[in-house]
Amino acid sequence: MADIELEGIRKVYGTAISTVALRGVDLTVPAGEYAAIIGRSGSGKSTLLNILGTLDRPTEGRMRFEGRDLFAASDDKLAEFRSGTLGFIFQFHYLLPEFNTLENVLLPYRIRHGRADGAAVRRAKELIEKVGVGPRMYNRANNLSGGEQQRVAIARSLINAPRVILADEPTGNLDTETSESVKGLLRAINREFKTTFIIVTHDRHIAAGCDRVIEIEDGSIKRDLSTSELSRDETWAELAPCNCREREDGRLPAAPPA
Amino acid sequence: MFNLSVAFRFLKEGRMQTALILIGITLGIAVQVFLNALIMDLQLSLVEDTVGRSPHITATMPDDVPQAAYVPPDGRPALARIVSNEGSLKPIRDWKSVEAQLVKLGAFKVIVPVAQGSGFIRQGEKSLPVILRGFDLERADALYDIRRRLVAGRYEVGGNGILIGRELADKLRTGAGHSLRIAVPSGASDVFPINGVFDLENQALNESWVLVSLNRAQILFGLDQGLTQIELQVPDVFSAAGWAESLRRSFPALKWLSWQETNAQLLAALKGQGSSSYIIQMFVLLSVTLAIASVLAISVVQRSRQIGILKALGMKTRQIGRVFIIQGAVLGFIGSLLGSLAGWGLIAMFTAVQKANPAAGLTSISVRSGAVVLSILIATTAGTLAAFFPARRAARLNPIEVIRNG
Repeated sequence: MADIELEGIRKVYGTAISTVALRGVDLTVPAGEYAAIIGRSGSGKSTLLNILGTLDRPTEGRMRFEGRDLFAASDDKLAEFRSGTLGFIFQFHYLLPEFNTLENVLLPYRIRHGRADGAAVRRAKELIEKVGVGPRMYNRANNLSGGEQQRVAIARSLINAPRVILADEPTGNLDTETSESVKGLLRAINREFKTTFIIVTHDRHIAAGCDRVIEIEDGSIKRDLSTSELSRDETWAELAPCNCREREDGRLPAAPPA
Repeated sequence: MFNLSVAFRFLKEGRMQTALILIGITLGIAVQVFLNALIMDLQLSLVEDTVGRSPHITATMPDDVPQAAYVPPDGRPALARIVSNEGSLKPIRDWKSVEAQLVKLGAFKVIVPVAQGSGFIRQGEKSLPVILRGFDLERADALYDIRRRLVAGRYEVGGNGILIGRELADKLRTGAGHSLRIAVPSGASDVFPINGVFDLENQALNESWVLVSLNRAQILFGLDQGLTQIELQVPDVFSAAGWAESLRRSFPALKWLSWQETNAQLLAALKGQGSSSYIIQMFVLLSVTLAIASVLAISVVQRSRQIGILKALGMKTRQIGRVFIIQGAVLGFIGSLLGSLAGWGLIAMFTAVQKANPAAGLTSISVRSGAVVLSILIATTAGTLAAFFPARRAARLNPIEVIRNG
């Protein structure tokens, strides 16, 4: 059964001067899939992720989760849906600087349940150990390095045992080594908990490691590639057709040569 | 629960801001508490000076309403001659039963049966008008506190013995041990030995009052066994008007007057003072409220990122609003609590200064726990209300704005 279905999603910003961010996207993501959304800046991939995360409402179109029409619900119902079903890993980590590592990881749990009981705290601690920031358990979020913050954000996204994790550039702003370990961590979580992952990324190394790569261009899906039948070289060739120069940080150049 | 801990964390992390606004609220409430206590005590001491040593309620016989001697057939009002027999006093005859019922009510601190009338002292050429007041000295002492203020002689009015005031004694160049001849309007006159001299710290009373025994006054004024008035004191001076009203209903044959009715001007002045103090207090509270509102408005802007994240993570609109409402309430509560303590300190300081310098007038002011609790209650409510607009702004914040703009 399909977990997430998008149907004719359009998103237009502005009223006087309107910008079309998405022009009718149809997409189905089955449960447990490990998918990447790639595309250039301004292609609409972040907008798509925000709509998938119910943070933004589409101008037109519907989104179903397990058959349930989500955008028919109120903002509060959507908030409830987010805290119960979705996990977020944002590009800029977005921890609350007022809280320490453990408290940040417990935030989604406390939003949902009010108080964190012993079992929740134990689970949070396990997750923090699992993502490798155990020694920073009681450090304030703004005293952590970028990599540590991203790991804490990953632990936080898992605390409510979400069915779907939405990640926006989870390895952006991280060095290569940290980036590799975060990548491994996400994949391990996907395998262990059967959590659906939708990852927006510039990083073709990440994209190449996904089951499926969806490329967005000018607000539409340009390509929907299933990598499971392809060899690593074939995938690589598909993702970097012009064999463009690899930047030092492993990202694609901002604009491919014409 | 979670809202509460986020609210406290925000307050704690915005330490400088929280401290500044708390100082502001503390100062405001301290001034408000101090001012309130000062005005209240000024008023009380004024009232105490005015009515502390005088009856709160007085019962007399009502004046006769003159009957029109002739009513013309067309019903138009006719001129009637008002005849009052000034000389003879109309006595309250059944006062013993009235007194018994007043005692039964148990609401009165002091009940003094009084027989009084005017008289003249002749000494050589001089003829001084005085008021002869006949009452039981022991009972009257509870009201007028005369025994303590006796400056010469002894506190006793048996037989023809009298007590006179200091100014009268000075005027007549007389004193305890001497005698005075006093005449009453009916023409009777007698010689009264002066048993003692009092000083009631009131020139008018010291000049005019001549205290005699109740029995002597009753005979002197031909009252039979009756009284001219009954004087009462109630424990709470401001309840006098209410009591007078209910006494009017219970004893319609008598004329009951409370001190409020006879001191209308004083009451009007007190009210004016009271309302100006309330206006000042109101403005203090208003500025406290606005200060809380502006600090929270800034806090919402500063924490829009955190608000966005919390909303993205599933916090509901109402919960976000509550985080800021709670902050407003906590600021109002803690600030007013500290302010009350500071106000108490101000009052203690003021009292110490007054004690060291008694010539300054006002003796001391005291903290009223009721007023303090009210201030805290009002400030907490004001803080909660002040948080309303910032809270709404926070609740309406779109998480997308934050996430998109980093």
